[in-house]
Amino acid sequence: MRRIDRTRLVAAASGLALLGVVGPVAAQTNASDPIKIGVILPLTGAGAGLGIPSRNGILLAEKQINAAGGIKGRKIKVVIEDDTTNPDAALNKANNLIFGEKVVALVGPIQTANTVAVGGITAPVKFPQVALGGLGPAVELERKCVFHAAPPQNQNARAMLAYAKSLGVKNAAALYDSGYGTVVWNQLSKFAGEYGIKFGVTEKFEIAATDTTPQAAKIRASQPDAIFVIGVTGVPVRAIRQLQMKQPIIAAIGQATYEIVKSMGDAAEGVVFPEFLVPEDPLPHQKAFVDAYKAEYGRAPKSIESIAYDALKAMSQAIGKAGPEAGNEAICAAMRGPYSGNSTEYDFSAPDMTGIKLNGFIYSKLVGGHFNRLPFKNAE
Amino acid sequence: MATRSIVILVIIAAIALAVPPFLPRSVVDLLVFSCIYSIAGLGVGLLLGQCGIANLGQSVFYALGAYATAYMTVTLGVGAAWGFLTGVILSGLIALVIGWPVLRLTGHFLALATLALGIVANALFYEWDWLTHGSLGFGGIPKLNIFGLVIDTPLRFYYLAGAVLALCLLASANLIGSRTGLMLRAMRDAPEAAKSLGVNAQWLRTRIFILSAIFGSIAGSLFAHYGSFVNVQSFGIEKAIAFLIIPVLGGATSLPGVVIGALFTTLVPEMLTRFGDLHQVLFGLTLMATVVLMPSGLMGGLASLSRYMTARGRA
Amino acid sequence: MLLGLVSQSLLSGVTNGLIYALVGFGIAAIFRGAHIANVMQGEFSVVGAVVVDVLLVQIGMPYWAAAIIGCLSGAALGALIDVVFIRRLVAQKAPDDSYLLFTIGVSITISAAVLFLFGREGHLLPPIGSGQIFIVLDAVVQEHALWLIGISVILMFALRYFYRRTTLGMRMSAAAIDPDGAATIGIDVRAMRTLTFVLGGVLGAIAGILITPIIPVSYMVGLPLTLKGFSAAILGGLTNPLGAVAGGLVIGILEALVVMQMSSAYKDVVTFSGLILIMIFMPRGLLGRAGRAGG
Repeated sequence: MRRIDRTRLVAAASGLALLGVVGPVAAQTNASDPIKIGVILPLTGAGAGLGIPSRNGILLAEKQINAAGGIKGRKIKVVIEDDTTNPDAALNKANNLIFGEKVVALVGPIQTANTVAVGGITAPVKFPQVALGGLGPAVELERKCVFHAAPPQNQNARAMLAYAKSLGVKNAAALYDSGYGTVVWNQLSKFAGEYGIKFGVTEKFEIAATDTTPQAAKIRASQPDAIFVIGVTGVPVRAIRQLQMKQPIIAAIGQATYEIVKSMGDAAEGVVFPEFLVPEDPLPHQKAFVDAYKAEYGRAPKSIESIAYDALKAMSQAIGKAGPEAGNEAICAAMRGPYSGNSTEYDFSAPDMTGIKLNGFIYSKLVGGHFNRLPFKNAE
Repeated sequence: MATRSIVILVIIAAIALAVPPFLPRSVVDLLVFSCIYSIAGLGVGLLLGQCGIANLGQSVFYALGAYATAYMTVTLGVGAAWGFLTGVILSGLIALVIGWPVLRLTGHFLALATLALGIVANALFYEWDWLTHGSLGFGGIPKLNIFGLVIDTPLRFYYLAGAVLALCLLASANLIGSRTGLMLRAMRDAPEAAKSLGVNAQWLRTRIFILSAIFGSIAGSLFAHYGSFVNVQSFGIEKAIAFLIIPVLGGATSLPGVVIGALFTTLVPEMLTRFGDLHQVLFGLTLMATVVLMPSGLMGGLASLSRYMTARGRA
Repeated sequence: MLLGLVSQSLLSGVTNGLIYALVGFGIAAIFRGAHIANVMQGEFSVVGAVVVDVLLVQIGMPYWAAAIIGCLSGAALGALIDVVFIRRLVAQKAPDDSYLLFTIGVSITISAAVLFLFGREGHLLPPIGSGQIFIVLDAVVQEHALWLIGISVILMFALRYFYRRTTLGMRMSAAAIDPDGAATIGIDVRAMRTLTFVLGGVLGAIAGILITPIIPVSYMVGLPLTLKGFSAAILGGLTNPLGAVAGGLVIGILEALVVMQMSSAYKDVVTFSGLILIMIFMPRGLLGRAGRAGG
């Protein structure tokens, strides 16, 4: 390990020398100053349900890193900015953090639009950034310094399909929203054949829809074996159960939060999610995180908190490897590689900038408002 | 009086030109958005101030400009000018085709029709992802390059957007001062009399609607180049409401008011974000207070303040 | 199974349509009594529902008491807005767009305050009645939906009666149509306007309480409710409770039919294009009598 570190350091240093002063190199010179890491999250607006838990995960990681001595003896300091779930604001916050606050790296944002917007600033100067959402449009494949701590949507789709296959589902229906839902749905329809599943009735609803009964009625009439639900609210699940449909519901990770589950009411019973953390029954290596989080915030974390926690820890490790003064490209280079997170095993050198494998997912089922970890696991 | 307004104008222009280089990058960034929103808001302001039409559909044309630029420069890989041009032509045509029947409506019907238009277009932007790339959006829109100068910093973009805004303001001022402007006001204030004088109200309103759409489209194209990304989430009903707030807040009949309204709606929320979750409450309260204290808009408020000061000075 | 699909879709269209109408009642009442296009109506519903949720679920008050206090809170909010703000605007002879902007400001403020004070989760109220389920023509019918339909219809006739037959209702209309004339025959125009806002607030709160067992209340639902309620009210001619119901039903059923017969992806496209066409071809509103319909 040590030798690799050193090689990386040399590589990073020579990279920096070649680059000269391209991009904003960190202005911190005083070794006793904390290392500043910028964080952009949706703390208000429609995305705050994701942003606030993420902030908790990040602050916990910061606390733990500093308690363990920081990076090379220097403490870290996260500077958190609210993008108000608005891409225009995310752009502004990134400008402020990178050029005003002179942070050495960036964690966030979460939404695809905001991530792509910020990437427009970070990519040209190869500024290290780890977003908390999955890989977005094609342009992100070229942005080799914008890493992702959440799986890309093709992996989310495969994870859902694999579970459906294990139930013996042949004819499925889908109910998905026009935003995130459509992105996942496109991948579901692409891979369904590989899993021997055929989609019959597939219905769409607006992101903030308050009622999806007509869509659910159409699904009911088609009598599918299982229903895939992708959205960011509890509305579609409630509509399905209110029409007395008993089929298994497989929902996407975006809905696996206590808030959304609560808004489903009784309809939540039996819904299955492919995700990364079940606090009621964590994997052995996740227990310490769950306990620490509960001690800090008095409530249980979910996958979202864990992903944010991993993002800051992975970035801090890379900064440690490259050295806080090593500059943008060196920190990027140090980020590229495998990382054992609390949520799952990452490989940030993978083409999708995250490297999460299907066997890295765990599955949970809602019973009485609690998540139960299922024994099902993907091979591979 | 005229010389006084010219002096004020020159002073403001000098400040707008000289100060930004000394401001932090994130503040310049906000100024860029103020310019872009001013251009789009100016269109809405012309409709409201000159024709008395509340337009809740400006986000449609803002989106058209942005998508035209994204499609032309990224998908087809042609020069940026094509993006601007396509957006303007497309917006103008759509404004003509839709405006002609819809502008026969009046009052709240018309406002609802423009709102419905915005909702329809937003749903289509989600749906037509071969064109718009849906909720993933477009990334990698190239930076503008004007005679070899790459507009890649907020400061450079600020001067560009500011220049475009100045041109749009000039064009609008010309329009208001012209015979057309006179007819418009006649139509707004005394529709029956104007009709009897042979003013073709519907065609006149449609023309202003087209001009408003063109401003919206230019703003959208600028936005696409500035952020180098375009996503359907930037074109929702909230944006349409924001474009209406800008001229109303500034004072609908006043052109500089639009710029002040845009500055207000970009800078004030930003200043308030430090209050966290409370910032939206504070923004709403600020909005309410502004309306109650200055019912004719910020510009009207400034005018009465200056009258008050002059009166005091004389006393 | 097909019968079930048709009846289920129509039922959901009717239920949603009446939800829009319930919000539309308040918009129509305030437009009738104050000539203000009010974008804050959905927020009255949010406040009413949130108050009931706190009293009922978190404090454990009986339903009827919580509902009454919920309605009173709507009334108080309406009165507050009129006495503190609208009076000043009227005194200043503010232009129409000022009122529009003002109500946008109120809507932003209330929505953000709900977020700040009650958090971002959606809250569901328990349904009225025993929460039974009936199967009618192969469609699943929640008992609460029947209550909602019944109460909406009663409310519609009550409002109609109020405006046409009671002195107070007629005074309120007169004060808005011709304030000077009304004042000369001894109507307190200012008080009538305050009462108009009280009425709007109460109607909003009632709507919120009836809707929330179906749609979870949160800081985000105000604006969407307002937009749909507005569409319903305008379609019906803006001042008429009967019209709001007609407008709401048209929109709700149109939405359901589009999902059933065409693609759910184009629901909003078809519904709102239809709305524009209805306005162009029926410029006097659905009921044909609202001459001033455009506003």
